[in-house]
Amino acid sequence: MDFINKIPTHMDFEGQARAEKLSRVIITLFGFVGLVWGYIIQQFSQTVYILGAGFVLAALLTIPPWPLYRKKPLNWQKAKGETESVSTSSDSTKKNKKKN
Amino acid sequence: MHSILQRGNAILAYTLSVLACLTFVCFASTVLLNYRTHADLNTVKVVVKNVPDYSASREKNDLGFLTFDLHTDLSHLFNWNLFLYLTAEYETANNKLNQVVLWDKIILRGENAVLDFKNMNTKYYFWDDGNGLKGNNNITLTLSWNIIPNAGLLPNIFAHGSHSFQFPVDYTTSRMVRLN
Repeated sequence: MDFINKIPTHMDFEGQARAEKLSRVIITLFGFVGLVWGYIIQQFSQTVYILGAGFVLAALLTIPPWPLYRKKPLNWQKAKGETESVSTSSDSTKKNKKKN
Repeated sequence: MHSILQRGNAILAYTLSVLACLTFVCFASTVLLNYRTHADLNTVKVVVKNVPDYSASREKNDLGFLTFDLHTDLSHLFNWNLFLYLTAEYETANNKLNQVVLWDKIILRGENAVLDFKNMNTKYYFWDDGNGLKGNNNITLTLSWNIIPNAGLLPNIFAHGSHSFQFPVDYTTSRMVRLN
């Protein structure tokens, strides 16, 4: 299980935007080309197959978190020292209790 | 952060939306086509018998036998598939309008759609629900078809052209009627 959990699955925010845009462009393009081709040969099934090919291509290109989509990771704040972190966490729990 | 499953779901949903749009375009490109054409019909041999209808009342009803010629070219009508049926229409004392389907045929896309049948037997019995066939002098045969589309409506189209004939005034009594 450790091995499976270590596989990176996340993208950074810009990567997500690129992936979604790319997938939409690919699927729309394949759908349009499929429609034109299907109309030319008068076979709607060909349109559906070409759209399916577009789906597979888009899935391969944009579902796995390729390095392309992880170029700009967020700069998280460094973890604080142990004593400090204990005090802040206790503070936050107190605040939460008051709110409730 | 979008997980792998969320990304996959988004792509699949978008693909299906695009497919729905494409299907609508396919429907829109065919909805205004004219699916009527000519069909030449003719009857060759026509007899009528008076026999018990065991499938209904067991009373003696009129049963018509006929063979027909059919010539038509439907090859330009295809959307996906075609379903043809031949109907006999007539009026009797009991009913203003009687319609009996005598024959039908499925033509799949890619099959030969230039039909030239000679002396065809009917596929279904031509029963009247009484004695309305003997001597009836106005029976009209019409060919109709269902366009089975890829997407869209399922229209019932009547062919241009029909054929009217009359049944003999006497019953045929021989047990076996050889039509061909």
